[in-house]
Amino acid sequence: MMVDRKEIAHLGDLVKVDLKDPEKYIAQVEQILNYFEGLDKVDFKSEKTLRNEIQYDDLREDKYEKFSSDGRPLVDFLKKAQDNFVRAPKMI
Amino acid sequence: MSLDISATEYLSLVREGGLSVEEFVAKTLERIAKVEDRLHAFITIDSQKSAERARAIDKKIKAGERTGVLAGMPVSVKDNICSTGMRTTCASKMLEGFVPPYDATVVSRLKAEDAIILGKVNLDEFAMGSTTEFSCFGPSRNPWNTDYVPGGSSGGSGVSVSALECMASLGSDTGGSVRSPASFCSVVGLKPTYGLVSRYGLVSYSNSIEQVGPVARRVEDIALLMNVIAGHDPHDDTTAKRKPDDYVQDLDAGIKGKRIGLVKQMAGEGLEKEVSSATEAALARLQDLGAECVTVSLDAIEHSVAAYYTIASAEASSNLARYDNLRYGFDFGNEGYEFKAYVSKVRGNFGPEVTRRMLLGAFVLSAGYYGKYYLKAQQVRAMIKSQIDDAFKTVDLLVSPTMPILPYKIGEKIDDPLKLYLLDINTITANLAGIPAISVPFAISSAGLPIGMQLLANSFEEKALLQAAFSLQQSTRLPGVPI
Repeated sequence: MMVDRKEIAHLGDLVKVDLKDPEKYIAQVEQILNYFEGLDKVDFKSEKTLRNEIQYDDLREDKYEKFSSDGRPLVDFLKKAQDNFVRAPKMI
Repeated sequence: MSLDISATEYLSLVREGGLSVEEFVAKTLERIAKVEDRLHAFITIDSQKSAERARAIDKKIKAGERTGVLAGMPVSVKDNICSTGMRTTCASKMLEGFVPPYDATVVSRLKAEDAIILGKVNLDEFAMGSTTEFSCFGPSRNPWNTDYVPGGSSGGSGVSVSALECMASLGSDTGGSVRSPASFCSVVGLKPTYGLVSRYGLVSYSNSIEQVGPVARRVEDIALLMNVIAGHDPHDDTTAKRKPDDYVQDLDAGIKGKRIGLVKQMAGEGLEKEVSSATEAALARLQDLGAECVTVSLDAIEHSVAAYYTIASAEASSNLARYDNLRYGFDFGNEGYEFKAYVSKVRGNFGPEVTRRMLLGAFVLSAGYYGKYYLKAQQVRAMIKSQIDDAFKTVDLLVSPTMPILPYKIGEKIDDPLKLYLLDINTITANLAGIPAISVPFAISSAGLPIGMQLLANSFEEKALLQAAFSLQQSTRLPGVPI
């Protein structure tokens, strides 16, 4: 597996990170992915993966509970709250 | 009164009124003030509230009121476990200024039993790392030699317990993060069975493999903490509904007649010489204590590091997608930014190891590669579990050195992530298989660095695991921490 600047930039875009120094990740990500390729050589006797199925027949009552922490509503903990809204950057 | 007292002894003295919690906590805080600039175990220290809590507990005891089983026990908590009113940073700039509005279940259980949380301790950013060097606050240092790493990611837990800055600590273990610092700092660290301890309030990194685990100087103190933190939690549906055992009772039952298997793949070529001789000595010791030692081969371990880092990176990239710095996090205004540009800009503040794992995670999950990496990794995981299940049909416990090498110097391996990943070979198996594992101090190298032994048991067999760990501890005499 060859990793180049374009691939790292694409991955940066996927994980929504503005990479300050994309160059420094190229060699390391390539080396680690090459190591992961060993997984391709495993001789599997079975195709199974671990599953843990749980039957839910005693779900709790769907009841509204007001959250408060030391008597403060959750909205008090938001850093850019205005009334009951979060101030976010513009979408377009 | 020495600070190096077992919790069991301390708590009984406190209950009988023979020891003042206020004095002991004050002495512990003095100790922290004395050594902290050399060790950097803590991110946050809450001296004032700790002293107030200590006074309140003394008052309760004097008045003959009921107190919790951990009354007056000074503990530290890894800073990726939420605590009301105390900032929780995950050693990341991304969580700067974040004060959780709720307690993790493990924290509320400690508080309900009157433990005193002195503060929050250092870790690799979001628990990703094995040296504590990836903390945005800088590394913690090994109390046995401050030029060396203390292990990680729960490095602050290992250091604070080892250097007598607290009596015990809560860490989290995703691939060895409790056991590695336990081994490197000569303390005891337990990774419980997946589902035995609640993860509610533990900041998620790799949900399918991580567990909160206790760190202490003695096995009996680990048992005591497990009696408090283990058990079903309605806030965490991955906790098992079974009633946990009493881990303190019969802790001294011994290991006579137990069959213990040395894992061949964890004790082979990669071991440093002194670790290898310590492992041989540990096997001889276990035999002297009445166990029968055999060798067990788990050949799927050859692929465990690749499988582990594929799964952990995939889960990390999904979990960390939630951080956008809009509702909490460091102070950075969003005026003038377009939404996506803002989110990408602020997320550029994740440190190098977290970023690397998110990039890897995005890659192994992306279209065209999922079957080649992620699915194969899950198949290796199933294979490891199946081999472990088979092994426990013939042995009661497994054993290996916790870490294949001795602690190393700060900065020595930080630029070679793959080399660091490969050092997790002995610890990640327990996480992939969901089984419990404990690191017990066993030897000190010729250069004065600690060596720990790891014992592993089948799922929910913590009682037998702790009994074996206790036997090993009782037969081992080690020097006190030199700092």
